[in-house]
Amino acid sequence: MYGRKASELVKELASSEPGQLSSFNNDLFAQVLEECNGHLHHLQPLMRKIQEHENKLKDTGRSEDEMGNSEDERRKSEAAKTVIQAAMKSDQFGALVHHLSLVRNKRCLMAYVYNRAEVIRSLGWMCDRVLPAEIEERLSSTEEEYFKNHAATLQSYMGGLDLDLTVDMVPPKDPYIKVRVVDDMGGVLLGDQTANVARHAIMFLRRIDAEQYITQGQMEELTG
Amino acid sequence: MAKYYDVDDILAEEEFVPSVFQHAANEVGIFDTSDDTNKVEVGSRVELPFWLVRELYLRQLISIRVPPYFDRGSRTREEIGADAAHVDLRSQCAYFYELGCKVAPLIGDKTIGPLLLVAFRTRYKEVLIKAHTLTLAVAPKHLTLLTKEEAKLYEAGQSSIAAFKKWRMGGPRFQAAPVLGRKRKPT
Repeated sequence: MYGRKASELVKELASSEPGQLSSFNNDLFAQVLEECNGHLHHLQPLMRKIQEHENKLKDTGRSEDEMGNSEDERRKSEAAKTVIQAAMKSDQFGALVHHLSLVRNKRCLMAYVYNRAEVIRSLGWMCDRVLPAEIEERLSSTEEEYFKNHAATLQSYMGGLDLDLTVDMVPPKDPYIKVRVVDDMGGVLLGDQTANVARHAIMFLRRIDAEQYITQGQMEELTG
Repeated sequence: MAKYYDVDDILAEEEFVPSVFQHAANEVGIFDTSDDTNKVEVGSRVELPFWLVRELYLRQLISIRVPPYFDRGSRTREEIGADAAHVDLRSQCAYFYELGCKVAPLIGDKTIGPLLLVAFRTRYKEVLIKAHTLTLAVAPKHLTLLTKEEAKLYEAGQSSIAAFKKWRMGGPRFQAAPVLGRKRKPT
């Protein structure tokens, strides 16, 4: 059935959790593109045939005028006309099916790319400039470039405003925060000095220092 | 066109509608591949996806019947009339409402609208109650009956309850970015 592969691609989007990226399905993507080419190959000869039929119809119409009005002749050309028209309609029908399939495939491909791009844009707000390796490997090369450009745009905008827009919007009650280190981090820049941070350590940090590590999942906030 | 990129709208149009060809089509060898002639004959019965059906039907190249679950006097319809909340709509059609909204104006069946309304009204009440009261452990059994849209409502209900609890009890302000996925177990 036409368009099935494309819908599989979209289903993959639908089944992944919202806001999560699965790896770019290069294989299926290429298969859909191939299917599109197949449609085009069917479509072109059909269009040519339709054109031929139209020409033929015109010819019979013209010869009719020239032949004069013998009853027999006219009936014959009428019959020929209906045959051609029926053939033409079948061709048009076939062409329409291929055309619709092409449009459908295009829509599926566009939706796949678009929805992924949306997630990637949101990544730009959450992890600044550097992507974690496990996410980076799920992107296609163009998507990586897109992310880089988008992050750079964001940075330059924030630079222009002289305001970091990625920080928490609610003013904190306490400028310090208690965190637990979840990951092996090695030396980390905290404030104006580097500290060596061990895993599972519980620390009291300045909020602005800790914020980025929490969003990256390397620390977690302790409450209560 | 507003929904051009909408994943659910695309998938809803993938649902099949039984149709009959009113005209032969050339060079279309999709429906049974064993056929060498590459042609669909008049009167072939095929299940076509809705995105094909709409255009072809408007040009009167095919005739269609409503999908079985919208059929007058079908079992699903009777079940909805009896107790809509416990009908397994997902196995019938995961996009029951969306497809219904698309099919009804196309064939001008006036009974589909009220059917959808009744089904949604009863089921929505149930979904809302369950979303607000059930704990996560009990949920899955009930979830399997829901269509895509209802499942989304259910999740929205649950997340609003979670947000309410967080607001009342207080919780951590910062959280790891959701894109990073599940937190790995510390080893």
